[in-house]
Amino acid sequence: MNSVEIQDIVKTFGSFVAVDHVSLAVAKGEIFGFLGPNGAGKSTTIRVLCGLLTPTSGRASVNGFDVARQPEEIRRTIGYMSQKFSLYDDLTVEENIDFFTGIYGVPREKRAERKRYVLEMANLTERRNALTRTLSGGWKQRLALGCAILHDPPVLFLDEPTSGVDPLARGAFWALIHDLSETGHTIFVSTHYMDEAEYCHRLALMYRGKVIALGTPAELKAGLTAHSLLNLDSSDPLDTMRALEGLAGVLDVAVFGGGLHVTVDDVDATSARVRQRLAAQGIKVRKLEQIEPSMEDVFVALIEAEERKAA
Amino acid sequence: MWERIFVILRKEFIQALREPRMRVLLFVPPILQLIVFGFAVNLDVDHARIAWMDMDRTPQSRSLRDRFTGSGRFDIVSAPGSEEDVQRTLDRGEAEAVVRILPGFARDTARGRETEVQVLIDGTNSNTASLVSSYAASIIAEYSVEVLERQQRIKLLARSPGSPVSMSVPQVTARSRVWFNPDLYSRNYFVPGVIANIIMLVTLMLTALGIVREKEIGTMEQLMVTPVRPMELMLGKTLPFAVVGLLDVVLITVVAFLVFHIPLHGSFLLLLFCAVLYLMTTLGAGLFLSTISHTQQQAMMASFFFSTPAFMLSGFAFPIRNMPVAVQYLTYLNPVRYFIEIVRGIFLKGAGVDVLWPQMAALAAYGIAVVSLSAMRFHKKLD
Amino acid sequence: MSYRRVRAICVKELHHITRDSRSLAMALAVPVLMLLLFGFALSLDVDRIPTMIYDQSQTAESRALVRQFQGSRFFEIREMVSDYASIERNIDRSRILMGVAIPLDYAKKLAAGREAQVQILLDGSDSNTASIALGYAESLVRSYSLELRTAALNHRAGERLAPPVDARLRVWYNSSLESKNYVVPGLIAVILQIIAALLTSLTIAREWEMGTMEQILSTPLRPAEMVLGKMFAYFAVGLTDATIAVLVGVFVFEVPFRGSLPLLAVSTCVFLFGALFWGIFISAATRTQVAAYQLGILSSFLPAFLLSGFIYSIENMPWVIQAITHIIPARYVVTILKGIFLKGVGLSVLWPELGFLALFALIVFLLATRKLNQKLG
Repeated sequence: MNSVEIQDIVKTFGSFVAVDHVSLAVAKGEIFGFLGPNGAGKSTTIRVLCGLLTPTSGRASVNGFDVARQPEEIRRTIGYMSQKFSLYDDLTVEENIDFFTGIYGVPREKRAERKRYVLEMANLTERRNALTRTLSGGWKQRLALGCAILHDPPVLFLDEPTSGVDPLARGAFWALIHDLSETGHTIFVSTHYMDEAEYCHRLALMYRGKVIALGTPAELKAGLTAHSLLNLDSSDPLDTMRALEGLAGVLDVAVFGGGLHVTVDDVDATSARVRQRLAAQGIKVRKLEQIEPSMEDVFVALIEAEERKAA
Repeated sequence: MWERIFVILRKEFIQALREPRMRVLLFVPPILQLIVFGFAVNLDVDHARIAWMDMDRTPQSRSLRDRFTGSGRFDIVSAPGSEEDVQRTLDRGEAEAVVRILPGFARDTARGRETEVQVLIDGTNSNTASLVSSYAASIIAEYSVEVLERQQRIKLLARSPGSPVSMSVPQVTARSRVWFNPDLYSRNYFVPGVIANIIMLVTLMLTALGIVREKEIGTMEQLMVTPVRPMELMLGKTLPFAVVGLLDVVLITVVAFLVFHIPLHGSFLLLLFCAVLYLMTTLGAGLFLSTISHTQQQAMMASFFFSTPAFMLSGFAFPIRNMPVAVQYLTYLNPVRYFIEIVRGIFLKGAGVDVLWPQMAALAAYGIAVVSLSAMRFHKKLD
Repeated sequence: MSYRRVRAICVKELHHITRDSRSLAMALAVPVLMLLLFGFALSLDVDRIPTMIYDQSQTAESRALVRQFQGSRFFEIREMVSDYASIERNIDRSRILMGVAIPLDYAKKLAAGREAQVQILLDGSDSNTASIALGYAESLVRSYSLELRTAALNHRAGERLAPPVDARLRVWYNSSLESKNYVVPGLIAVILQIIAALLTSLTIAREWEMGTMEQILSTPLRPAEMVLGKMFAYFAVGLTDATIAVLVGVFVFEVPFRGSLPLLAVSTCVFLFGALFWGIFISAATRTQVAAYQLGILSSFLPAFLLSGFIYSIENMPWVIQAITHIIPARYVVTILKGIFLKGVGLSVLWPELGFLALFALIVFLLATRKLNQKLG
């Protein structure tokens, strides 16, 4: 049985379509990544799945419960971490844990064990009496995750859990997520950090309310293999971009860090033509080589394709 | 279910007691209001300050003056010498009235010619002014009748010497008996009413704020995805304030009794029971306001604009009897009105359920209506 | 102090105010609604006191006395009853406030030239209404008694004499003796005080909460400039409120306006400065909007309502509290408004009050600036 199933969900706010006919399924134990820029509809979809918002049309189920008709059953079997840190910052770490233990109705005999587990997992055992507001971003994040899994829910929804957290803490956080997945938890996580996408088992790319790509990271990258990607480092990227415009065999040019990523259909022939054109314009080529596309390349390419389709 | 209510309760208390400002807010307004209404608020107009302008300066004018001071209702605070002085005295509000005795007062009365005593009254405060005018008029009228009596007697003696000097004339006097508050102390009237105000102040706004604050900081969303039921959440968020409200009732009653010596004629238990009914309405209203506000600022504004008219139109400071009829009907929608009537009834009149049942029924109906209304609006949904 | 920075802050605040149409509507409409509702509803006039009469005597003489009560505008005779119990029951249920009992031997005593007593039974729980009602009832009985005495004396002497001394009563300032005429000017002051504190108390706390304060701190802006800039923005709103309130007072409630308009304008401005600075001071002293708001209400509404002399006269208060009222600006503005509206007095009488308001505004401005400085440091 799939942990999450979504069929043709639509959610509108007035005339604004936040989620536009989305369908997908997430298997048990999977880490499912939800990628997309801000405002793409990721949070709205997650809120629909948690029963916080009623879908305008379509059906969705979590753990076999219908989101529109059985939100209370869903709430017993999920953990949720919202985009914004949302624990009580005027309570201590331990008081927050105790509070949510009571709210989730964790059985009395399991309480001590769950609390120890969460404190250890979040590495907060020594700071259990600290006021939550005195914790730094990474600690808060782990505490929030801890409070969301106190009742050991089979499905976890994490809405941009790592936004505003430093890279080191982000790494540690993802390690926790992997541990959870290995113990059979399904994790539905949204992010706008492309590098984090690599940690997921499967991904959905969301753009303007639509899922525009769905698959494992490798599958998504493979989708780009019809074309090849060149990394071009030149003396003047802006002039280079202008120079390459309309050049036969060049499908797309995108700024990437200090250099450019050039999408081409034939690596050898086009590389020669690029060198030729740039030399003619007096632009020095420091480096021109074929590279493996990153998630970000995939993402940019897909979105541009989507925009071309719209235009 | 009780488990979840209990953890919410515990959380609310920890949060409230950890915040020093909260402790201040829970206890300073009650004490402040008690002091002000117990000591300062006094509408009694038994003493009026008057200025005495005697342009006649005769034993007769002085005897009239003695009647004013002897009545116990007037304090003579100044003796203006000129028109400008009179004007200034009234302009500055130094006296509520000026009594002016014109030159020739003694001579004219002796000749049996009609004469007048002028009383200039500052009408700014219409109540004081009408009482001052009726007191002054009756003192002058009494003096006048006595002068008349003397003149008649002289005439009578002149016509038939030897007739009895004293004659009996009929007179009517008023003997008053004041019930419930025989000394007519303002504080006996106001202090019990403070209970109603304080409960509203503490419960309405804090409830609305407490819930909207959780919406604002996002913890409400976190709670919504837990198995907690709306009813449990509502109870957990409101019970702490209900407890505080009842503590305030006890506190104010004790202070009223010990410090202000305000008699509690009725049953304290009945008072507590009615306070619970009243709390249901104010907490319910607070919940309702929280369902229509998105930010704490909106919640505060909303509760302010609910509680101010509720306070003003409760009969606490301004008698409902005096309001325009339309507004009088409006006050039937105001829960504070009923509770003020109950509190005053229990404290001053010793009234019981047999007298107060209509007010109690109104509060109960109101409470049930507003609590169910907000329960209906209180979803575990964001849309 | 830079004029341009003050102006920049002021313009920014005006944007906040005008963008948030809901708050703006509240800031402008609510004072008017409050003034209309309370101006009509809050009356301290004691008249038409619900009364019952128990006439045991049932004679021409007793009916003459009853007619006196019926003819007075202060009393409304609800019913003539035939026992004490009905009076007691109706007082218990608050249906009437007063009962009058005329004794059985009333006419007989009067005929014998003796003293007849009329009993007044009064619900004293509302001490104010009760004492005023008692005053009216006693005066009515006394003047009726004097009439009887005069008539008896004249009859005995066989010659008619008019009572020689006549009280000539003249009411100044509020000759119709309507309480709205003094409630409304006071109400304007109280409402302005509350609105001013409400508007400004949130303004700096909000910037702390949203984090924009840190942004502003990194600019060369000085605390005094911030305080002034914010004050002027809300001043525009407050002044609009004041203008509307005065117009409503004069044209809707027909409160006489006898004084000078420029003096009213000047004193309102000075008062608004002080009240707005006070809100900003509170805002600077607290970090959260909720705390700022509650402190704002607590420190403006209660004193303005209770200790300003708006309805509860200051002379009647114990001296400690009288002393406290001297530091409450609402007290002075209530005096000024009543003075200008009803008495038509000018600066020669009101200068101490105006002076205090100016001093208050200055001190609170300095306090607010200092507080903000401390917070930044």
